Amino acid sequence: MGNAREEILEKLRAAPKGDVPVRLHMSPLNEIGLDKEEMITKFRETLFLQTGVVHRVKDNREALDKLEEIVDTENLKRVVASTDDVVTPLDLPSWGEKKGVHISRAQDFTDRDEFKDEVFARAEAGITGADFAVAESGTLGLAHDTDQARLISLAPILHIALVPADRFVPVYENAIDKVFKDGAAIPSQFTFITGPSMTADIQATPFKGMHGPRRIIVIVIG
Amino acid sequence: MKIKTEQFTEVARREMADMNSRAFLQLLPPVIAAMRKAAMATFPDPDEANEYSRAIRAEVVARLPELLEEFEKNAIAGGARVVWARDAKEANDFILDLARKREISYVTKGKSMVSEELGTNDFLIRNGIKAFETDLGEFIAQQLHRPPFHIVGPAVNVSVQEVCDLFMEKAGMEAPTTDPIELGYAARLYLRDKFHHLEMGITGVNMAVAETGSIINVENEGNIRLTKSSPMVQVSVMSIEKVVPTMHDAMHMLRLLCRNCTGQSISSYVSIDTGPKKDDEIDGPEELYIVIVDNGRSDLYDDVKAREALRCIRCGACLNHCPVYGTIGGYPYGWAYSGPMGQVLNPLLLGLERTQDLYRACTLCGACKEVCPAGVDHPSMFLYYRSKDVQGDDGLKGKKRDWKEDSFFRIFSLATTFPWLWNKAVRLLRPLYNRNAKDDVVTNISGPFEGWFRQRNLPAMPSETFHDRWKKMKANRLS
Repeated sequence: MGNAREEILEKLRAAPKGDVPVRLHMSPLNEIGLDKEEMITKFRETLFLQTGVVHRVKDNREALDKLEEIVDTENLKRVVASTDDVVTPLDLPSWGEKKGVHISRAQDFTDRDEFKDEVFARAEAGITGADFAVAESGTLGLAHDTDQARLISLAPILHIALVPADRFVPVYENAIDKVFKDGAAIPSQFTFITGPSMTADIQATPFKGMHGPRRIIVIVIG
Repeated sequence: MKIKTEQFTEVARREMADMNSRAFLQLLPPVIAAMRKAAMATFPDPDEANEYSRAIRAEVVARLPELLEEFEKNAIAGGARVVWARDAKEANDFILDLARKREISYVTKGKSMVSEELGTNDFLIRNGIKAFETDLGEFIAQQLHRPPFHIVGPAVNVSVQEVCDLFMEKAGMEAPTTDPIELGYAARLYLRDKFHHLEMGITGVNMAVAETGSIINVENEGNIRLTKSSPMVQVSVMSIEKVVPTMHDAMHMLRLLCRNCTGQSISSYVSIDTGPKKDDEIDGPEELYIVIVDNGRSDLYDDVKAREALRCIRCGACLNHCPVYGTIGGYPYGWAYSGPMGQVLNPLLLGLERTQDLYRACTLCGACKEVCPAGVDHPSMFLYYRSKDVQGDDGLKGKKRDWKEDSFFRIFSLATTFPWLWNKAVRLLRPLYNRNAKDDVVTNISGPFEGWFRQRNLPAMPSETFHDRWKKMKANRLS
């Protein structure tokens, strides 16, 4: 198949050149220029429409209190957590020990299969931090790496996300510019998450929790 | 999937009598259209936003070869392996060969229109590799062996009873139910096990960003993220026109795609891959293959009119606004793409000859063109196909007409070009024509014109034409 590339590109290059239209001016999006509190409000309101719940706490101590409340209400016994820079300072494993919740992290597993057994078959919730919270549409931005495994925010039925208040941005481009800036280490995967997984494929009846989480809870810190 | 574009009229007639399809078509397309309008209103100026996305897509078509090369270079730099495939066979052979080399027993698939086009599922299954569609609607459509009814809801018209029977038989559902939510949950349980032990996943690509070499998937269910996160091997298949210049362009197109597709401001998940997982990551693919598929597109790229079809981003807005689709649904179009989108794409990819009814089943009302965020001018494409078809165009595989029809229209077009000739001919033919009139109306002329009169009448020709009277009036006034 080596020359398939050449053959395709050759045909495309040989064709008449087309005109590249001039891009007309576009008015800036309404969210640009919102201050921090306005962004958090917009985020909360738009995510609510997708059944996402947003809590606001002052600091990490209160964040742990809120987590305890959630763990109690949902009766969670087994949770898998990321080790990103938002979650790690909370020291969830020793917190969980005290509260009777088994907390595991990606590094506790020797290989992919063991980790998959945990997130797919055992964990009742996944706790992650977030790199961005986009006001525009109530969207979280997660850059995946060794401390932010992809399946933690995806495979368990409940996703709990923690996001510091200074990580709110108005629109997608603010997040994208930071993640994909020249010379930056581009993550193997970057994900925008807006509400739980959903479908309306049978008789157009909406249904949350198709293949990923059925619910998402966001705790804003600060 | 069998290509059934030749059975358009027959299937359309059957579908118009189908109560499930009718119920869906009368309700959902108008609802989605209204949701689209509301979502577009979040832009400071929706028209401006539309013009901007149309300009992006026009640029993609104009700069296609250089953008593909830029994308390839950056994707490889990010660690992805890029494979080019001239046609369905090359793409499918590559995927099968890879699955065999990695000793894969089954794959899961994220919804991908291009893989529908390539028939990848059937090919893999025929060759001993199980392929599970994982988008709920695609999963149902696949098990029922039907083409997608709607690009967004491929099986949204299927009755709950039918889904229940299907899941009892093929998805290990334990107790029958007709609750759509319980049915969805049964599919979750069945497919969850497939995701859990998955070793190779196949997805499509919504956008390939030239600037960074990244691929973007847009979805609501999470099946595509699972298909990309769980296995060791990821294969993402894209047709050549999926490329966009920059990440900012991709973000603008993302807004337009979601608003036009489902009326959402953004889908639940948007995942952007740049290369395979890094060594220290526990999930994500160790190998990422991006298969760039041509499948006839580079041949028609030489035709600057036909290649405008490559602007399409598969959002489905044209389906929701089309009065023809709204009457007959997706099955009559007979292949992967339905509605105006299918009427534009299927004839190019399959040839004009075997898609005769597709580009003629249109009133040229232009609703599709008006909503299209990619700037496809569907009606003018249909007129172009119609003319290329009767001329028997080689490249587009037109079906030339027989000599009688051909010569009739040659003479007709000559006559309409010269007024003196037209007037002479009309006078000459008037007695012949008026022989068919009854009460000054012609309802039929037997012979080759019968088809034309099936739904129309013509008035009889008066003994004096307008021009005759005009001349007379002028002469009277002067005298």
